[in-house]
Amino acid sequence: MADAVIVVALLLTAGAATAAVAVRDPARQALVLSLLGLFLGVVFTVLQAPDVGLSQLAVGSALTPLLIMLSVRKVRRRGKEGGK
Amino acid sequence: MNGWILAATVLLAGGAGTALWGVATGPLSRRVVAQNLSTSVVCASLLLLAQGYDRTAYVDLGLLLAVLGPVGTLVFARLLAEDLTDDRAAAWGLTWTTVGVDAAVVVALCVAAGPGRAMVKLLVVGALLIGGNLVASRALSGGFQGVRGG
Amino acid sequence: MSRFFRLRVLAFGGAGLAALLVAACFDLPGFGGGSHPYGDRAVRASLARRTANVISSVNFDQRAYDTLGEMSILFAAVLGCVVLLRQNRDEHRDRPEPTEVALPVRRYALLVLPVALVTGLYVIAHGQLSPGGGFQGGVVAATALHLLYLGADYGALERVRPIGVFEVTDSLAACSYLVLGLAGVLAGTAFLANTLLPYGTFNTLSSGGTVPLLNAAIGMEVASAVVVLLARFLDQAVEIEEEKGS
Repeated sequence: MADAVIVVALLLTAGAATAAVAVRDPARQALVLSLLGLFLGVVFTVLQAPDVGLSQLAVGSALTPLLIMLSVRKVRRRGKEGGK
Repeated sequence: MNGWILAATVLLAGGAGTALWGVATGPLSRRVVAQNLSTSVVCASLLLLAQGYDRTAYVDLGLLLAVLGPVGTLVFARLLAEDLTDDRAAAWGLTWTTVGVDAAVVVALCVAAGPGRAMVKLLVVGALLIGGNLVASRALSGGFQGVRGG
Repeated sequence: MSRFFRLRVLAFGGAGLAALLVAACFDLPGFGGGSHPYGDRAVRASLARRTANVISSVNFDQRAYDTLGEMSILFAAVLGCVVLLRQNRDEHRDRPEPTEVALPVRRYALLVLPVALVTGLYVIAHGQLSPGGGFQGGVVAATALHLLYLGADYGALERVRPIGVFEVTDSLAACSYLVLGLAGVLAGTAFLANTLLPYGTFNTLSSGGTVPLLNAAIGMEVASAVVVLLARFLDQAVEIEEEKGS
């Protein structure tokens, strides 16, 4: 019973990771990926590794989405210019 | 397993599960709202876990997420602004519900912590979380206009 | 090589890896058991040097040499990005149009920016006491700066972010980590050995010997590396345009 929270966190992580693969549009993938980052942070916390959880939350909540969305914007702009 | 950890488990299974379902399916407007919702739910669970494990240092995780989570939503609101102009992502009922849950969690933890530095820290985290959630919701429902190239 | 043959090779390799993993799983100690031979030694060493956060003691004292390697990886990765994402000869810069940001969002960004910066510094400074350290705090501080882009526009961010200064800071911070390590050699012990400074009082800010200094060096390195990295991505996404007709 005491491990219920670990099981829930692992299931959420597995679900988010599967969804990140199943979703095909990169912008929507970035949204799922940010959730995956949060859930990984929870997994590390419930496994008593707050240092790693803190790294995961710091990188996963704002930095990774920003890098991915900037790349998506660059690719989209180039596509628009090519269509002109 | 004590009540705090049980509450965190229920919140994660219910709230974060809903957020995951919302972010993986449906139109883009629903997905960004679910992403914003996930920050509130996970941050509240982290605070509850810190109390449940009786480790005040774990509150730092909640603090970090309360600061950076809304920033992540702002990233999506800004860089997806063109896609979100057609269908505004407004879900104020849901937003106020999560704000209520966050406020209840923070108040319960403050009562448990008693007056002192721990309580001030919890109140700061709560204010950052709730304020960030509301502003991120505002940003999603048309906070960025005329984003072209910028 | 036919498609069928490739699939057979993949299945063979996958089956081998799966078998090895399962075999390794049977030899693992039980989940949540009481025997932690490495953990016990690490905790003892960390308490002897009066570092409350054992993970920091492992990262910046017992295995500080590994952290030097990790820092070099980040440094090299950012260097590679800077080279790859530079402005080519057939590209030019366009001033981005200013953006209308709703007033609450703008106010929030300007209000939270200093809070996030202080949070980053707090996480770096308390690395030897509570979870956190240079890497986590550095990322938070660097992300905080980009609230200016989110809450205003790219022009506002560029005005407060002299990119050359951050590039120099990145290199200086990486060097200071090395210098702190070499100081141990000059003092007659070993590279990165934590023998230079007094260990201080357990569970206070000034404890752990060189751990807080190495933490600060890593914090500076990571913060400026992330700023430089994001600057290149932002330049490409917002400003740099290919020449028409190329």
